[in-house]
Amino acid sequence: MKISHNWLQTFFDTPLPSASELEELLTFHSSEIEEKVIVGNDTVLDVKVLPDKSAWLLSHRGVAKEISVITGLPLKADAFLLTPDLSLQTDKITINLETPNCDYYGAALVTGVTVGPSPDWLKQRLVAIGQRSINNIVDATNYIMFELGQPLHAFDADKLDVTDGTYSIAVRQASEGEKITTLTGEDYALSTGNMLITDGISSGPLAIAGIKGGMTALVDVNTKNIILESAHFDRFNIRKTSKQIKLRTDASARYENGIPAGMAPLALTAAVKLITDIATGALVGYAAAGTIDYSRLPVSVTLSKINSTLGVALVIADIESIIKKFGYLYKITGETITVTPPWERDDLVLAADLIEEIGRIYGMNNISSVPPPRAAVSAFNVRHFYAEKIRTALVDLGFSEIYTSSFRASDVVHIQNALASDKSYLRSSLHANMREALVKNTAHRDLLGLSAIKLFEIGTTFAPDFEAFKVALGVQSGSTFKAKVDDPLLKEAQAALESVLGQPIVWEGTESGVTEFVLDTVLPALPGVTTYLSVPKTAAISYQPFSLYPSMTRDVALWVPVEVTAESVDALLKKNAGSLCVRTTLFDTFIKEDKTSLAFHLVFQSKQKTLTASEVDAEMTAVHNACRESGWEVR
Amino acid sequence: MYLSMSVKIPVGHIHPLSQMIAEINQIFATIGFEFAEGPERELIKFNFDLLNVPKDHPSRDMQDTFYLTDNPESVMRTHTSPVQVRYMQSHQPPIKMICPGKVFRNEATDATHEAQFFQLEGLWIDTDVSLGHMKGVLEYFFSEFFGGEVQVRFRPSFFPFVEPGVEVDMMIARNDTNKLSGKWIEIMGGGMVHPSVIEGAGLDASKYQGFAFGMGVDRLAVLKYGIDDIRLMYNGDLRFVTQF
Repeated sequence: MKISHNWLQTFFDTPLPSASELEELLTFHSSEIEEKVIVGNDTVLDVKVLPDKSAWLLSHRGVAKEISVITGLPLKADAFLLTPDLSLQTDKITINLETPNCDYYGAALVTGVTVGPSPDWLKQRLVAIGQRSINNIVDATNYIMFELGQPLHAFDADKLDVTDGTYSIAVRQASEGEKITTLTGEDYALSTGNMLITDGISSGPLAIAGIKGGMTALVDVNTKNIILESAHFDRFNIRKTSKQIKLRTDASARYENGIPAGMAPLALTAAVKLITDIATGALVGYAAAGTIDYSRLPVSVTLSKINSTLGVALVIADIESIIKKFGYLYKITGETITVTPPWERDDLVLAADLIEEIGRIYGMNNISSVPPPRAAVSAFNVRHFYAEKIRTALVDLGFSEIYTSSFRASDVVHIQNALASDKSYLRSSLHANMREALVKNTAHRDLLGLSAIKLFEIGTTFAPDFEAFKVALGVQSGSTFKAKVDDPLLKEAQAALESVLGQPIVWEGTESGVTEFVLDTVLPALPGVTTYLSVPKTAAISYQPFSLYPSMTRDVALWVPVEVTAESVDALLKKNAGSLCVRTTLFDTFIKEDKTSLAFHLVFQSKQKTLTASEVDAEMTAVHNACRESGWEVR
Repeated sequence: MYLSMSVKIPVGHIHPLSQMIAEINQIFATIGFEFAEGPERELIKFNFDLLNVPKDHPSRDMQDTFYLTDNPESVMRTHTSPVQVRYMQSHQPPIKMICPGKVFRNEATDATHEAQFFQLEGLWIDTDVSLGHMKGVLEYFFSEFFGGEVQVRFRPSFFPFVEPGVEVDMMIARNDTNKLSGKWIEIMGGGMVHPSVIEGAGLDASKYQGFAFGMGVDRLAVLKYGIDDIRLMYNGDLRFVTQF
């Protein structure tokens, strides 16, 4: 929520710390600050209010109270300590609560208002926190919401039906398909789970309860008499409706976080005062229905529990000083502290809740670390141990490990709310992903300097009623003689794993260079684990983004004198092939009499574009020339 | 014969996620934390209910959690915390465990978000385990994992399964060869396990307490290796894997 520094200052007599200092204080004692922006002569902090604090922190008063507790600066007058005075009652409004989702509805009738622009100070406040100024009545209701946290709404009373000089408000559930047009002109079709504020005489909808007002009783420039609403609605009902109709407002966000009902009459009296100040008009009186529960149960915690949870060494006096800053009612007996939370804090229920409050005001950052003692584990993860052995064995044979998606376009177990149609199922095997990875990587074989792509994956697969932890192997040489080239590579790996595990393995679906097995079923027969394999500390690897443009491969075969080493040839090739040559791979060599035949792949790739054949040919010409100048025969 | 450069088969590469998980396990094993695992398709009971995630909590929403058409009791786990609950149910304190594993979130993917990724969570429950112990364990872990002295600091935060909850920042001691060093980096969340989670797992919350933490292994990879797009870790591309 956006919080204005100038606005905050109105809660204090003493000058507040700077916005930067407040940012620091709030970050380490309350809430993260997402942004700090200078707006005119003001600074606005965007406070990220998390769900546990949203019932009482989504307002300037809430943040001012936090600052008061953190800094010890007193609030000059706390609206929440007042008893709202609704004694001037009117019988011109009747209120009927026809749904259990509204437990309190307060209204005020104000007559003779002059709708017009808001005074500058009010406009500035709203604009600073990113709100648009509309007119003095609407601005006043918004202002009170951002000031105290309680949503309010103003209806043009003359647009309601009247019977015997009396208006009627009924809060009820919508009927199926009931329509409402909001004050900004959008139409919504509601269902019985949604709650409406309605005209009790005509039964027509006036507002989607707790979310947004309707067009029917819109306050406009001609409005003279208004009915102000300040109510409390069931948080779950508001949240459900808001999600269902996809309409989230500043009001619904507060209701769904469970703001306390006690704020409603306070905000109503504050709004009446503001409106009669800035829009003239006179209060006729209040009307209310429902009840407010202000009672809170005491919570106890011991000093030793506080210290042993936070890892601190506070004394009773420290705790007492923190609780005093909150202004809570409390009692200390021996080392037991009993706090009765104020009505606006229904989230303080457990000792742990109090410990958190004390901890964050003391400062989580002041907790000292306790180094962990060295200790041996008493049980080993057998699956991890053998998975590691498998990895080591496969890497030695030139296999590289991949991780792929658990989702497939089509398989057995269907996901109800998939991200995309090609991710609608859970994989029942590792086969399909493996095959795709082989094909994708085969295109980069030369670039990778590999004669065959050899992959493995270890991961979970899903049947309707069980999961299996599988190991899959895949080989693709790109050769047309798959059976001759790929199959032996796969067989070699299979044999290696059977030897590592010392067990026969039931291989599944061995075909076209892919096979897999269920590791879980092999594990029970394997020897117990008494120590993990030692993991070498990973070297300081710095990942380099790779080119997404295709590579191009050219071969060069040379006759060189036997005393010329492959390394020296390789070096000459690298030196003359230009910067676009990203890899040279020796792929064939034999000796005939006094000459050695060497054959290299040269792989060219740009980071900026797709290379053309002529660009690569030019580099190859340079390579050929350099080889000839060295006296080597280019075959 | 002068041919020292032979036509040989290069050795393969272990995926960075596996390398990190093995290293993480090795570090935690030296301080007695056991490596536990659990199902990736998890009962709602373990993924949410027993973790004090209220029925109306936003994280249960369809846009965050993958639900299964023919299995209304289960979800794709959204964190590895259910492994902690299962472990507490089957073990008596003192409990020290880590649970790295794959988790799922129904959210749009980009360079820093994946719908499936790896998490590392840890748990220590005993009669007197505090946030001070958590700080010590994390400083030890990060120092070993990133190399060099690492400091940790806490800020207030909120997760339903802990109270108090904290956001954790770390700072690697300044070192000219390490770009990450000398500044605070937001790294993970944690806190003291909520008493209702301890009770829900069948332990006596008036007797036992402890901390839990959780972080993205992918995030660790981004920091450790400078990976610029975490989707590379899950697309099976050797141009990525062979760099490790």
